[in-house]
Amino acid sequence: MKMKMPYLYTLLLYSCAFILFLEWLYPVQQIGDVTNMTVFMLYTVFCFFISILGVKWWLSMPLKGFGLLLIIDSLFMAVPMLSRRWFEQLWLEVGFNLNALVAQQWYELTPLFRSVLFLLLIWMLSYLLHYWFIVRTRVLVFILLTFVYISLLDTFTVYEADGAIIRTFVVSFVALGMSNLFKEMDRESVRFSLVKKAPVWVIPLVGVVLFSTLVGYAAPKFDPQWPDPVPFIQSAAKNTGGLGNGSGIQKVGYGEDDSQLGGSFVQDYTPVFEAAAKDEHYWRVETKDVYTGKGWEKSAEPEYELISGERFYMQMVSSEVETEEFEATVDFNEDSAMEKLVYPYGVSQVESEQDFALRADFDHGEARTIRDTEPVNLDQYTVTYDSPSFAIDELREVKGAQAVEERYTQLPDSLPERVGELAEEITEADGNWYDKARSIESYFGRSGFTYQINNVPVPGEDQDYVDQFLFDSQAGYCDNYSTSMVVMLRSLDIPARWAKGFTSGEVIENGDTTDDYDRYEVTNANAHSWVEVLFPGIGWVSFEPTQGFSNLTDFYTNMDETEQDDTLDSPEAAPAQGQQEEVSEEEDAAAADATSDNDSGNIEMNWWYVLIGTAVTAVLVWIIYRTRFRWRTAYLFRKLQKRKDARTFQDAFHYLLALLNHKGLVKDPDQTLREYAKRVDFRYGTTEMHQLTSHYERILYKNEMNNQETVQLSQSWKNLMKQIMA
Amino acid sequence: MMQETAIFNEKIERVLENINKVMIGKEEEAMLSLVALLAQGHVLLEDVPGVGKTMLVRTLAKSLDCDFRRIQFTPDLLPADVTGVSIYNPKELEFEFRSGPIQGNIVLADEINRTSPKTQSALLEGMEEKNVTVDGRTIPLKQPFFVMATQNPIEYEGTYPLPEAQLDRFILKMKLGYPSPGQEMQMLEATSKTHPIEAISAVMDRDELLAVQEEVKDVYIDRNVQQYIINLVTGTRENSAIYLGVSSRGSIALMKAAKAYAYIYGRDYVLPDDVKYLAPFILAHRIILNTEAKYDGLTSDSVVEKIVQNTHVPIRKEFNS
Repeated sequence: MKMKMPYLYTLLLYSCAFILFLEWLYPVQQIGDVTNMTVFMLYTVFCFFISILGVKWWLSMPLKGFGLLLIIDSLFMAVPMLSRRWFEQLWLEVGFNLNALVAQQWYELTPLFRSVLFLLLIWMLSYLLHYWFIVRTRVLVFILLTFVYISLLDTFTVYEADGAIIRTFVVSFVALGMSNLFKEMDRESVRFSLVKKAPVWVIPLVGVVLFSTLVGYAAPKFDPQWPDPVPFIQSAAKNTGGLGNGSGIQKVGYGEDDSQLGGSFVQDYTPVFEAAAKDEHYWRVETKDVYTGKGWEKSAEPEYELISGERFYMQMVSSEVETEEFEATVDFNEDSAMEKLVYPYGVSQVESEQDFALRADFDHGEARTIRDTEPVNLDQYTVTYDSPSFAIDELREVKGAQAVEERYTQLPDSLPERVGELAEEITEADGNWYDKARSIESYFGRSGFTYQINNVPVPGEDQDYVDQFLFDSQAGYCDNYSTSMVVMLRSLDIPARWAKGFTSGEVIENGDTTDDYDRYEVTNANAHSWVEVLFPGIGWVSFEPTQGFSNLTDFYTNMDETEQDDTLDSPEAAPAQGQQEEVSEEEDAAAADATSDNDSGNIEMNWWYVLIGTAVTAVLVWIIYRTRFRWRTAYLFRKLQKRKDARTFQDAFHYLLALLNHKGLVKDPDQTLREYAKRVDFRYGTTEMHQLTSHYERILYKNEMNNQETVQLSQSWKNLMKQIMA
Repeated sequence: MMQETAIFNEKIERVLENINKVMIGKEEEAMLSLVALLAQGHVLLEDVPGVGKTMLVRTLAKSLDCDFRRIQFTPDLLPADVTGVSIYNPKELEFEFRSGPIQGNIVLADEINRTSPKTQSALLEGMEEKNVTVDGRTIPLKQPFFVMATQNPIEYEGTYPLPEAQLDRFILKMKLGYPSPGQEMQMLEATSKTHPIEAISAVMDRDELLAVQEEVKDVYIDRNVQQYIINLVTGTRENSAIYLGVSSRGSIALMKAAKAYAYIYGRDYVLPDDVKYLAPFILAHRIILNTEAKYDGLTSDSVVEKIVQNTHVPIRKEFNS
């Protein structure tokens, strides 16, 4: 017998349903192309309000229907409502859309019709939720669905459910607690009037929910075990490696437009190319030289030079600089589309089996691969390059003002003065350009800057990108660090530019001997930016200010140098130069970083399979779980026929009890088997339970075992099990 | 609340039919009296006068071809008035024993709480020992021997309520209660000319009854049902509302009664159902509630009912090996 819940509690419970339903609507706004979400929300409120009033259906139906028409009218109809033309137009719309539906031309559906469908859905759900929450007080299924929905959206779309999951948690647990209380009171026939006078039950419920929420919120949580699949899905769908649409969250990768830097992004481990190379080195693509205060642009329209031979020599250092010749092979991933050449420092030659030519812009270090004036993507090519090594003592000789191209010391007028002041302060003790560059390069690590890709701000209208990073956020990724270093160097009149490309990537295959080439995989997550400084008479030397990354440039000192520089002696030690002390502190940052995260490459390859595998396993487990009673029944039946003994019969009988219990026909502990059997037979209209019970009673209370009868009854047992399961 | 699947033992069924002819609407009480009789126990009837106590006992006696005696307990009744007395016979020059009313097969001890404890104990000794001692001589009582004692719960003045130790001697306590208006109408119709007791005849003789009493002893009771009895009895000892729990005599009584009950229903083994059904009749008069419980409005019956509800029925057999 269902008791009437007091109105206040009904209202509370239904409000929970309403809030949970809103959680379904928020993401629709964000991920779908729904523009008039406010209207839909209002209609939801309206429908839920009508439902909670509990008016008769002949009143609530027209009310909700009228609301629907009102919305349609205000959104789509130009003619006066309920006029003749209004109806005609509506009729035309309906006819058109019904035809489209029948023809399965989904894209033909008009916004009006889609809105009608959506509103109808809201209407239906308001009714359904009223039924689930208030009439049946069964809330768990909807709550579980809500959690699954939110988690899936958070995982597979750009929707960020950080807040939603907390709201859902609180609301759903309050709803669960309340519905459980109602059911319990219903079962125990407790009158609500008693509860009304003493609403003490609310205190522990709210207390527990709030406490667990706070604990859950504050407690340390595991980082995601898989890389975020969203960029993977997007790039799989779009086949592109470009930056996102600048809506706040971007995806790392090689992009063209750097005029607006800043903002968070998500790591994308889609492979771009694989490379076979002797040593780790950066892959350069291009440089930019104009800092706008918000990002980077190129100084002028690039002047392209057509190079049709294999020779592609990028003059970056003077001929006096020591170099060593190497070769590297680049294999592009089928899906990646790079029209620009990716090359190591000191590139001198590019060979490919494919027919191609280069359009090179030597000013910006950019080369496009073309065939007959059309851009072309090379699948594979081999580059020969002369890897430069720089003598530190020679670099140190560069000091004081030098005559250099103005564009490498360009700075916007809007740059706050404190940036320059900071640069002065950092380099106070240094007498030459090299030391100054080194000081700035290591400044970030010394001063507690953190590497992060989330919550990185975009500079506001009046803010400078570098200024914001240096003095405000002090957290960011490569663009922040490299841009800041270039700007600070330029404020000291040291010529510098901003270089873009890829880091060396992950080693996926080690060469057998030290002389062999290693194979690297470079993904979108390896897209990077760094700093190049022009040392007159020597050339462009690259620096790496980003936290967690090491400078791969080869610096060496002559043997007669001071002891202090001995650490720089061997080329192997050089990459760690200037970073060594920070390395341990930066481990966390480095772990999040593309170059040092060894596992992510493999996981990224496998997680799709893992997901499918898990899903299949889950479905199988679920099926087995759902049919577990059938399996067990078949098993016990066979066992009964074979063994025929009292013990097996006891197992079978108790399994029957367990099944009945599962079906909600619970045997009270003080109930005798006979009393229970009567209830069961009455419920299912059977006589088998009585027969089985009588037999079991004789086993149990008479210590008698009639094997013949056991076999006869095993069929009755099976029949009864089937009937109960049906 | 009798078991509905009433497949009675044939002999017993005839007795019950007989009683039901006379006592309209008292099937359960008739059956409980038989339980006590077959378990070789005695019944304490607590009821107002005039609801048919005497008629019940007389019908029982007549159906079983037993000697019926009645003792009306009064304050001035002496033990000798119950047990019998030795009188000097001047002719024979010796004392001669004149048996008292206790020397019957079925004895109605009416308003037992009206007499002095001394006289009460004379009856109770007979009930327990199945013999009486008169002038140093032990005289065995007739077999079968069955006492149905009544107690008036309304009048307390000038009564000697039976002490709990004595109440223990009765295997079960029950009430007759008023018949329903419909039953009373039937009763009036049945008794308008002749009393129906005149119409019935014996359906079993004394020897058969003694044999049945022996058969009842052979009814099988499994260890797990015995455990159930023990759990129930232990429940009374551990209950916070109870000042004095059920003694071991109580557990024995419950077991014997359960066997008799199973026999009546034509079974040769005891079910927990039997025990569960009988527990209130057998345990309620053996416990003493403490004062708080009484003030809380609890009664012995309600407390026993609660204990039965809280005791798990055994539904699993422990197999060795």
